[in-house]
Amino acid sequence: MTRVKLVVSEAFRSIGANVSTSFAATMTVLIGMFLLGLLIALGSWVVSWSDHVKDQLQVKVFFVDDVTPKQINAVGTYLRTNPERIKDYQFVSRTEALERMRKKYPELTENLPTNPLPDSYEITPSRAEDVKQLSGAIRGQKFAGVERVKDGQQTSKRILQVARVIEVVFLVAVVVLLTASILLIANTIRLSIFSRRREIEVMKLVGATNWFVRGPFMVEGLLCGFVGAFAAVALLLLGKEVALPSILGHIDSSSDVRALGFSLTAFILLGVGLAVGALGSGLTLRRYLKV
Amino acid sequence: MDDLLTSMSDTSAALLDAPDAVATNGNGVATVSATAMIVLEDVRKVYEPDVVALGGASFVIEKGEFVFVVGPSGSGKSTIIRLLLKELEPTTGRIIVGGRDLTRLKRSKVPLLRRNVGCVFQDFKLLRDRSAFENIAYALRVQGESNTAIRRKVPEVLALVGLAHKAASRPDELSGGEQQRVSIARAVVNHPPLLICDEPTGNLDPDTSVGIMQLLHRINTAGTTILMVSHDREMVDKMRKRVIALDHGLIVRDERRGGYETE
Repeated sequence: MTRVKLVVSEAFRSIGANVSTSFAATMTVLIGMFLLGLLIALGSWVVSWSDHVKDQLQVKVFFVDDVTPKQINAVGTYLRTNPERIKDYQFVSRTEALERMRKKYPELTENLPTNPLPDSYEITPSRAEDVKQLSGAIRGQKFAGVERVKDGQQTSKRILQVARVIEVVFLVAVVVLLTASILLIANTIRLSIFSRRREIEVMKLVGATNWFVRGPFMVEGLLCGFVGAFAAVALLLLGKEVALPSILGHIDSSSDVRALGFSLTAFILLGVGLAVGALGSGLTLRRYLKV
Repeated sequence: MDDLLTSMSDTSAALLDAPDAVATNGNGVATVSATAMIVLEDVRKVYEPDVVALGGASFVIEKGEFVFVVGPSGSGKSTIIRLLLKELEPTTGRIIVGGRDLTRLKRSKVPLLRRNVGCVFQDFKLLRDRSAFENIAYALRVQGESNTAIRRKVPEVLALVGLAHKAASRPDELSGGEQQRVSIARAVVNHPPLLICDEPTGNLDPDTSVGIMQLLHRINTAGTTILMVSHDREMVDKMRKRVIALDHGLIVRDERRGGYETE
């Protein structure tokens, strides 16, 4: 207990005695964590958007007008017995189709004398990339009563390309920014420890163990990391509550496209801030402890 | 005060008393007795790639001795000190301090060694952001001494070096001589049986140096072994203590009551 008290009080003494370097370290953590937070929010939003778009890629099987229930069942049985590429499928009757249409484009459907829409199956593939093979396979079965099988070839190709590019760009950005902020933080910690290497040498010469020297430095790093990450979270929250609505005010929030929850992001940032602070100090110290 | 010094030497003896008994060197280079504090057996230290800092040094320093190590720059004096603190490892040879073979001492035991060997340096090596009191207290804190013990021992040792009234001063508020007294106080607060001094008066004016030497002499009289590297010709000549002279990494003279140079 006294040990812990001693380590903590040594850490506070050293923060007090090195205000400028402690401040610099805290600010670097702040910047790093702010960037990381932005990226997590943005990135998870983009990934979720691309998932959402991929989910909309479907194979549609349209039946002829005078299709018999038996013919519909034949297709249903095929879909049920070939589940390896199929995530989900749904039968949409012509009445349901009209209902949907009515909701989406009320002015178009207003004066229809009869229902022009056919019965259909909507099939969601397990992997969006499989949409083409799937439609081909269904076509290959040559079902009776099927007018045509649609897979939106052109659109799907486009969407898949864009989604892939966005994912790659995001991944690269994460790696680059993470590396940059880790290097930045490591460098600041290294400078602050370098400026105190004489102090460390003296401590070792009067018989301090490595852990006795390291303890306060790590607590100090922990504190700087915590304060920096906390400030970053506060800034991000401010941005989310104030800046974002005014920029994206008109984007509808009802869709299933979402960024990672804010509290989870905040939690990740605090965790990374603490770890970077403590481990950064602890590891950087190693070479100065060899006295 | 004298009580303190006496008690210091008593504890000292207990602290470093030889567990692994010192064996006699087969080559007869050094005659080792149970009362030896420092034993160097044919110690060579070669820095990469081929700078010979110490070319086979052997000597024995008995408990309670006061020994000067003299020699020009680059003669190997500092190397000896760094070897004794296990800051460096010898290339070959054996070093025994207080009965412990340093070449066989584990790295994790080095802090224990240093708590039992007081060190005084030319540049004082005080922690600049702490008061005199806290500088001395640090040496006690590293070994887990309680605050009660610290409040008792630090004023005692500050009084011993004549700085009871400067306990709250930081190093930059103290004169060079006063800083050196604080660093001596820190070195002896653990009652080490051995005190190693690396040119303790090197940065001080002659009058101040005399005061420091008197203080070290008193500490020695109370039983602490002192090994002191010095450039201070006058001081070495005046003290008439044992002198080990080095030149180019070799011991060129070892006199019982010697001076800085051979007469």
